[in-house]
Amino acid sequence: MNALTAAPVALHKDPSVIAPATTALHDLTDLIPSVRYATVLTEDGFEVDGVPAYEEDKLSSMASSLQGLSEAVVRELTMGGAQYVIVAADDGHVVQLRVPGQQLVLAAVFDLDEPLGNALATCRFAVERFATALTAR
Amino acid sequence: MEHIVLFAGPMGAGKTTAIKSLSDIPVITTEAANSDRDAADKPTTTVAMDYGEIGVTDEEKIRMYGIPGQRRFDFMWRILRDRADGMVLLVHNDAPDPVNAMREYMIEFADLCERGGVAVGVTRMDVGPGRTLTDYTDVLERERPDLMVPVMPVDPRDRGHMELLLMSMIANLEMRAEYGKVLA
Repeated sequence: MNALTAAPVALHKDPSVIAPATTALHDLTDLIPSVRYATVLTEDGFEVDGVPAYEEDKLSSMASSLQGLSEAVVRELTMGGAQYVIVAADDGHVVQLRVPGQQLVLAAVFDLDEPLGNALATCRFAVERFATALTAR
Repeated sequence: MEHIVLFAGPMGAGKTTAIKSLSDIPVITTEAANSDRDAADKPTTTVAMDYGEIGVTDEEKIRMYGIPGQRRFDFMWRILRDRADGMVLLVHNDAPDPVNAMREYMIEFADLCERGGVAVGVTRMDVGPGRTLTDYTDVLERERPDLMVPVMPVDPRDRGHMELLLMSMIANLEMRAEYGKVLA
């Protein structure tokens, strides 16, 4: 296979994606120490990076399914685009949203004492910075 | 009466296509861009489930759920397996080891195979030399002599093929239910 026909590097293996993903996760955990787990994943469930590791890629796989199901529901109900996904549990929150313009998703698990609005706003900030960094590559 | 049928099998076997061929309603899909083009060279992959329906009669409906082919989504397998009463297992004959793939799914879904119906559809049999149907049936007869599993070549794009496979599975399911009543 020559350079003209070489397959593009998968997003989760591309150093120019992994580095800004790591930065985005650090942005998030620096701003909100109550993040229990966070991951950047491809939309088909491969982890690009995660802090701390959660059963290898299991959080990424589950977040991918959750994103896919949520977007299917929004599509079926003709409600436009899905902006973010929130799961409110007895012991914490899961917040996830797409990285604008990318086939990537940020998913984060927060302790219950973290205000949901703050968790969501910080995730939005992190993905916007991440998207800007990816565009500037 | 309603039947809930899983469409299972490795990535690239044709599960989403099969449900689209069969469904009377627009299929609900959860497809995402495929990052793993080495595993299957196709642009998208199912990440949660596909859903379609067939209205057999006014009173009888078949609900079809396609599950993701990759093991990293096995939590979805468990969620959907528990509510299903039958399985259509698709394997593509040009995969590296399709007979073993079938065997692994039969083990993974053993409880569903035991309480419900199961049928195996072998796709892409026309794409070069591969395993014969006997290779599949020999393994099933050796490892699951207690189950009667229809095995047939299918093109998932062909509604007729898929109806025959699905109805074989439903017949298998209903026959076992009747047999169970007789034994009880």
